[in-house]
Amino acid sequence: MTEFKILTIKESVFKNNNERADLLRESLKKDKRFLLNLMSSPGSGKTTTLTQTINRLKDEMKIGVMEADIDSDVDAHTISKTGVKVIQLHTGGMCHLDADMTKQGLDGLGVDECDLIILENVGNLVCPAEFDTGSSKNAMILSVPEGDDKPLKYPLMFSICQVLLINKIDVMDVFDFNLELCIERVKKINPTIKIIPISARTGEGIDEFAEWLRTEVRNWKM
Amino acid sequence: MHELGVVIEVVKTLDRIVLENNLTEVESIVLQIGEISSMIPKYIEDCFDVAIDGTQFEKTKLKIEVLTATALCRPCNRVFKLVENEGKCDCCGGNDWELLSGKEFLIKEIVAC
Ligand SMILES: Nc1nc2c(ncn2[C@@H]2O[C@H](COP(=O)(O)OP(=O)(O)O)[C@@H](O)[C@H]2O)c(=O)[nH]1
Ligand SMILES: [Mg+2]
Ligand SMILES: [Zn+2]
Repeated sequence: MTEFKILTIKESVFKNNNERADLLRESLKKDKRFLLNLMSSPGSGKTTTLTQTINRLKDEMKIGVMEADIDSDVDAHTISKTGVKVIQLHTGGMCHLDADMTKQGLDGLGVDECDLIILENVGNLVCPAEFDTGSSKNAMILSVPEGDDKPLKYPLMFSICQVLLINKIDVMDVFDFNLELCIERVKKINPTIKIIPISARTGEGIDEFAEWLRTEVRNWKM
Repeated sequence: MHELGVVIEVVKTLDRIVLENNLTEVESIVLQIGEISSMIPKYIEDCFDVAIDGTQFEKTKLKIEVLTATALCRPCNRVFKLVENEGKCDCCGGNDWELLSGKEFLIKEIVAC
């Protein structure tokens, strides 16, 4: 006769992943490898921004890129033209990467000698915000056509990032996008976030982002 | 879909709990989901059926409890229900409040042997 009993758990569903992410972060810190988790909606300009940024940094540090766009390798192909190491992760339709998948990606990329590894996360503003990948820092892109009210709709994503790139400012005039209002909304959710308006098309603002990365990579090694 | 990834995380956690406690069978699991957690109970149920398929939890029943979102109004120092009052304090009508509950996603308990 089996006897069922009630076990009180009271545990957040994200605890498991959070613990694995912390472990991964520690090991990256120990090995002096900086992992940037880059997130945005589909089409905000992650791949274009990465290409621009990599071209500014690749001569001074070793860079690796993990592409996690859903079941396609177009982005990996684009990035590979910059000459840095790139690997395509297939998430099999999943809407985010967790710490385990990120670790598998790092192993697959063979990042031993990389100073900077960039993860282009799945295009989505909800799920990646809830799953810590184990990254050193989180960055997100909001592009002008998406609207200045996105911070109101996806506060969690804006709250977990250290840097926000507002992309496609070259088309600001065409869209009804209020930059000041947008910045105010973001700062209300996350007062310490660094906000850089950029255009991945014209290259405006990319130097400032590259400089931010340079500093972060240096600090991570100390 | 957003819920699927989260439910797979639930199953992973179940795996660990079963191992840690030397359990053989999980009859049921109770999840607590905050009213404003961005999870929809109906979707969670559908995803759960998919996520347990072919695992040791195939017969495990799922129960969901929704936790009411509550907030503390700073000027009035009073707790009120957030959704029912449309985000404004039911006393002063203000929105200077601090969230107390409503974003949880917890495994509350399991019935197992
Ligand atoms: N006008 C304009 N278009 C851009 C800019 N950055 C990216 N795009 C375009 O937006 C589309 C999506 O860019 P992509 O980098 O693939 O976005 P991802 O899905 O976030 O990786 C492409 O057609 C890009 O050419 C920008 O700064 N200005
Ligand atoms: Mg892309
Ligand atoms: Zn009040």
